[in-house]
Parts: sequence; structure tokens; C-alpha cells
Amino acid sequence: MIETVNLRKEFGAKVAVDGLNLSIPSGRVTGLLGLNGAGKTTTIKILATLLRQTSGTVSVGGLDPVKQPHAVRKRINLIAGGERMVYARMTGRENLWYFGQLYDIPTKVLKPRIGQLLELVGLTHAAGTRVEQYSRGMTQRLSIARGLINDPDYLLLDEPTLGLDAPIARDLRKVVAGLAEQGKGVLLTSHYLAEVEQLCEHVYVIGDGRHLAAGSPAELMAQTGCHRTVRITVTNLSPQIEAAALAFDSRVRLAPGGVVELNHPDDLTGALTTTIIESGGALGGLEIVEPSLEDAILALSDRSLEVIA
Amino acid sequence: MRHAAKVMRAEALKQHRQIFGSKLVLFSMLVWPLLKLAETYYTLRPLAATPGIAERWPLAADPERLLAFLATGALGFTFFFSLVQSAWHFSIERQTGTLELLFLSPANRLAVVVANGFAALVQNAWLFACFAVAMFTLLDVVNVAHPAMYAVVFLAMLVPAVAWGAFLNSVLIFSRDAAFLYTLLDDPMWFASGVRLPVFALPGWIRAIGSVLPLTGSLAVVRGALLDGQGIGDLAGELAGLTVLSGVLLLAAVGALRLGEARAQRTGQLRLF
Repeated sequence: MIETVNLRKEFGAKVAVDGLNLSIPSGRVTGLLGLNGAGKTTTIKILATLLRQTSGTVSVGGLDPVKQPHAVRKRINLIAGGERMVYARMTGRENLWYFGQLYDIPTKVLKPRIGQLLELVGLTHAAGTRVEQYSRGMTQRLSIARGLINDPDYLLLDEPTLGLDAPIARDLRKVVAGLAEQGKGVLLTSHYLAEVEQLCEHVYVIGDGRHLAAGSPAELMAQTGCHRTVRITVTNLSPQIEAAALAFDSRVRLAPGGVVELNHPDDLTGALTTTIIESGGALGGLEIVEPSLEDAILALSDRSLEVIA
Repeated sequence: MRHAAKVMRAEALKQHRQIFGSKLVLFSMLVWPLLKLAETYYTLRPLAATPGIAERWPLAADPERLLAFLATGALGFTFFFSLVQSAWHFSIERQTGTLELLFLSPANRLAVVVANGFAALVQNAWLFACFAVAMFTLLDVVNVAHPAMYAVVFLAMLVPAVAWGAFLNSVLIFSRDAAFLYTLLDDPMWFASGVRLPVFALPGWIRAIGSVLPLTGSLAVVRGALLDGQGIGDLAGELAGLTVLSGVLLLAAVGALRLGEARAQRTGQLRLF
């Protein structure tokens, strides 16, 4: 497990991370969310030994990255999206071989692993092609294979699908889910919240380097008051029907186009529909909008901004 | 050591792919040093007709020995300047993001910078080295006290050059702008190290600058052993100086790497300046 306690990082007068407590267990994808500048990348770089915290403690599988950086580096890897972090003049296979040497992977292990990783990211056909001839998506897939070259116990993913086409991003999500099933601990940051919702069992939300909330995506939505929204279109909306609908629950709102809207933690769709029909309303449409993690993050960020203001 | 050897192999492949990305590299490997050698030779050749030159600089009176003297200088310069180029390439890795990956890996940092320099040296200098050996053979100017001196010459070029490369890599790895190296170490190194003129002919303050450049000591050993028939005993002072200077450069490289990495971990910027 990766654990941080009261993690704090200052860059001069700026506090990038302020008192974060994280637990990233093996066998699970843990999300780390926040708006730009929230401190996500700084946190990931501290876990990866690229940055040193100003105060607080970090433990990676029981190892201290400050005192045992060499041992920690063998057990982790980092994949960042949107950057060309491979060598353009080497082929895909050569890039993986190069990084395999840096990680001191035995030749007998490295050779088959390179083949497996190229297959995993769908680059077997381009293994002998120079990376400068790869598309952006292919380069990013190679970066992902590079991040797995040392078979890390913990994988830190910083926007790994940034700029990838939808089918490739979908394949990558399958890979990440598979890695967690194999027992690896994965920390994921992403701006694609649907991706986090799909992959992460547990999510930390941070803002301005501080902890805002934590829990499963469903728990986060509940914590922030994001509930399912029912929209009923009434074709003959009259003052009498409006009054009946508004009397049904204090959360009922009237929207333009004869729409009666209700956002409520309980499922009151049937009861509201019955009330409208009994008051003489004719239904033109019924839409149920499930809450999303994006709503929760926006709500949390808004609250954070209110606190700062 | 086993891991360091792996890093060496990895860097050798990387340098090979980077340096031989285009056939035009042959120009910088052979044609460019040859042109510089020819320019220097035909600039200095009229000196042979200068009255009294044989007393002040005996070698200049003999065109073949003058050419051999200049060729050793050009060979030494090719060795050391190829490492300036390699350091510049290495600093570019900071901009492309691969430098951060090197620091993310458990590879020994000194092994990486030494391997990078060594690989660049071999890739850049082998062609001109072959040309120089062929030229010495054809001119029949080699005067060696003992066959073992060939090994001494080789090591006197290789070891300080690799130490010099490791030092430059470790310093420039953290710099945003490495272009100043070319200005600082191209013509000044060519001049102050005695590549085209004997060091004794240079003013004292230039000799002082040259004394801290390892190329100066390397050229003294190479010329002494290959052209003047000097043995180990004759060159002991120069060899000792080179050994000390190489050690200092390697220690400075270790210090710069530690300082730079600690600073990068503190500031988040993989640069020193």
C-alpha cells in the first residue's frame, strides 16, 4: 500500500499540497481528482520520488522514498499523458529494451516481456518502426508499455488518456482495470471523469492542495447532494397543475417548455407523475438524468472556492 | 557493475540511433575535422620558411612532422568536442521529458552520464581516429619507445575524455540553455589546449587556462609518446596530472548530480541554473 500522512509540499511561498492523507492499496484503482493546479501532479511526483515533500510522510509498500529511493523506484512507475516521453529515433522495441536496461531487468525476463507489452498496447506490428513515424496515439501507447516495463507494484497514471482517440482510450481503461485485477495498486488522475467513475473504487478530491472529499463515486455524489433528476414535460401545463406539482415537494422546479423538474435523493418519479396526472396534466415526455461524478466535483470545487473567498 | 554495464549498452544504442539519424553525420565525423586540419596545416606551413624556426619550434621546419603534430591535435579535439556535443544533446532530454524518466529509474546517475559520454565519444570519434592512424602510418612519423605506449596513448585520450564528458553531462543536464557551451568550449579549447600551436608558444595566461582543460594534458602525452618517442618515465608528470584531473572531474560530476537532483526534488525543476 502507498500511504501519505499530512503530506505537504511548498514551492517557495506557494503551497502546492497541504496536509494530504492518502491510501492507495494494491489491487485497486484509486482516483485523485481536482481542478487544474489542485496539486495532483505534485502529489504523484512526490510518490514517484521526483519531488521531495516539505513535511509529512510517504510510505510505498513499507519503504520510505526519501531514505530508500532506489528500492522505491524499482517498485513504481509513472505514465503521464500528452507528452512524448520516449526516444523518437529509436523503434518501439528499442525504447522498451532501453528502459529495461535502466531497470536492470534480466535479459531472459525482458525479451518476452517486451513482446507481451507490445501486444498489450497493440503495437506488435509497429515494434520495428521508429517512434518518429508513430501517430500520437501510438506514441502514447508505447509510453504506457514503457511504464509497465519493470512490472511495477504501483502505477501512477497522470492523465494517461489525454489526447487519445476514444477507442484507444477505451482499450487503455481495460488495461488499467486488468492491472488492478492482477493486484497492482494504481493511482489515476484524469480530466475525463467518466473514466474515473468507471475505473475507480475510491476517489480523493483535492482543491488547492487540500483534501476536499473522499469515497466511492456514488458516495461522493451523495455527499455533494448530486441526485437523480426527473424531468416531466407537461403538454397542458396550467396554474392548477403547477400548484399541484410545487406542493408535491419543495425541491420541485418549473423549467421553460412546460417542464416539471425534481432533484431528490429518493426515487419519486412515480409519485410525481401520478400527482401531475391526477391534477389533469397530460405527459409529453419523461426524462431521468442520473447524477455524474462531474456534478460532484464541480459542487466540491465550488464549495472550496466559496471557502477561499 | 553489472547494472552499469547494462546502462552502458543502453546508452550506446541510444547514441547510435541519435547520432546516425542521418548520413550527413559523416560530414561532422570526418569531413569537418579534415577541413579544419587542412586549414590549420596550410596556414602554418609557410612557417617552415621562416628563418630560425628550426631552433624555436623544430617540428615546424618539417612539413610531415608538422602535419602529424596537427593531426594529433585534431584527433584530441574530436575526442573532447564530441563530448561537448553529447552534453548538449543530453540537456535537450530535459525539454523532451525523457530526462525525468531517467531520474524516475533506479539506474545509477553517474553510470548514466558516463555511459552517455563514452557512447557518444566512440560513435563520434572512431572514423577520424581511423583516418588519423592511417595518416600516421603513411607519413611514417610515429616514433614510439615501446609498443605498450600505444595503450598509454589510448588511455590518456579515453579516460580524461570520458571524465570530461561525465562532468559536462552532469552540469548541463540541469541547464535550460546549453548553447553557451559551444561558444565557451569550441575555439577557446582549440586554442588554449595547444591543438594547433605548441603550448610553450602561448602567452602565460592562456597556458593557465589550458592547464585546467584535460585536452591539454592528453595532447602532451599523445604527442610525446607517438611523435617524440617518450616513455612512461618521461611522461609521468603529465600522466599524473591527467589522472588527478580526471578524478577531480568525476568527483565534480558526482557532486553536480547530487546537488542537481536534490534541487530538482525541492523545486520541481530539473535544472541547476
